[in-house]
Amino acid sequence: MTCEQLAALYEEYALGVLEGEERAEMDAHLARPGDQCIHGVAEARWMVAQLSHAAPAAEPPAALRGKIMNAVKQTAAKETPVVSPIEKAKPEPKIGPQRAAFPMWAWAAAAALALITGYTVRQMNTQNTQLAELRKQMKLAALQNQTLQNQLDMNRMVAMVMTSPDSMPVKLMPKDTKMPMVHAYLHPHMGMAITADQMPTMPSARTLQLWIVPKDGKPVSVAIFHPDSAGEIALVAPVTVPKNEIAALAVTDEPAGGSPQPTTPIAWMAAVN
Amino acid sequence: MERILQQDSTALEALYDRYGRPVYSLVLRIAQNPASAEEIVQDIFLQLWRSADRFQISRGPLEPWLFTMARNRALDFLRLKREKQRRREDSDTDVIVPSAVVRPDPEGDIDQSRRAEKIRALLTSLPEAQRHAIELAFFEGLTHSEIAEATGEPLGTVKSWIRGGLLKLRESLGEASS
Repeated sequence: MTCEQLAALYEEYALGVLEGEERAEMDAHLARPGDQCIHGVAEARWMVAQLSHAAPAAEPPAALRGKIMNAVKQTAAKETPVVSPIEKAKPEPKIGPQRAAFPMWAWAAAAALALITGYTVRQMNTQNTQLAELRKQMKLAALQNQTLQNQLDMNRMVAMVMTSPDSMPVKLMPKDTKMPMVHAYLHPHMGMAITADQMPTMPSARTLQLWIVPKDGKPVSVAIFHPDSAGEIALVAPVTVPKNEIAALAVTDEPAGGSPQPTTPIAWMAAVN
Repeated sequence: MERILQQDSTALEALYDRYGRPVYSLVLRIAQNPASAEEIVQDIFLQLWRSADRFQISRGPLEPWLFTMARNRALDFLRLKREKQRRREDSDTDVIVPSAVVRPDPEGDIDQSRRAEKIRALLTSLPEAQRHAIELAFFEGLTHSEIAEATGEPLGTVKSWIRGGLLKLRESLGEASS
């Protein structure tokens, strides 16, 4: 079946009522990167999730909030790095009166034993060091893998928002004409995709911050971001202000971590609506 | 979410204050057991705390993400319970709560409450059998043929009820967001 044929089933798939061939077809389409159905099902999931509001309103037990926060504190405590146990120094060999009549063979055996022990300890230390190094490399590889996966997922989301017919493209013009343009795509449900390339490198102590300037009220922070090493930006951020209440989009240069309100002049800006 | 990612527990408290009630209401409606619902909700918020980075990846609005996670968790619980019942082949001892405590409209999130009203109004406007079919799908996690079996209606009828109901939902939400 084609994506066009499956489009009528997106909501039913998101609701979980599809079975058999139809479900298998949909699963197969969703497994293909870039398939049109991925976007359609993502929107349908949002829509179906709204049915949650049909549940009769109920008051959670008063103690639940405290239980969650206690569990969070316990989790945080467990995840706090524990100081590595300090290896205790070996006790000093006891120096005492030696037995005078210690046979030569015993001296030889003791020396051999000491040599073997020394060698074994050294081997173990080397192996432990190698093992620690391998673990470190594995962790690094896993992190790199996760980062790549995250980038892939993010690029997929950006592409979905950019290509959606429901998205509204907005060009943010730079105040400094040497700077490139920043593109934003406002989607009614999936948030806002932001893309740019050929951006200049930024110090790690600074960040770019995107703001929604509502028709009434103060600017609302949408996202903080940093161009990557290739000078590119590609991300999707949630939008909490309804589209028809947005007057403009603006980007400012802020300290790392962002600011509650803009602290520097606008670097990029676009009027909306 | 940025603050949760930075392990700021006050951000999670704020999130619970905003979404704790609707999430609990949804989970209780599906799980039908207050003690289990409490456990599931606790688990959901802890999951959110631990996996905030996964949400950062998928981005998009938080609310549907949270509701979808809550629905999936609660349906998993329900399916497990049904499976146990099937295996035991005797009656379940859990206390079934027929309906949750109705509370006054929450203060605060007007959008959320407006949308909730819209969804409830839409479902109320549907013929009872159609509404029941959609509720069986959403809150009980039943498929087309399982709903047909549960209601005794032909499979084709169930499919057209659900399709029609979802179409109305789409139209209604489209109007709301435009």
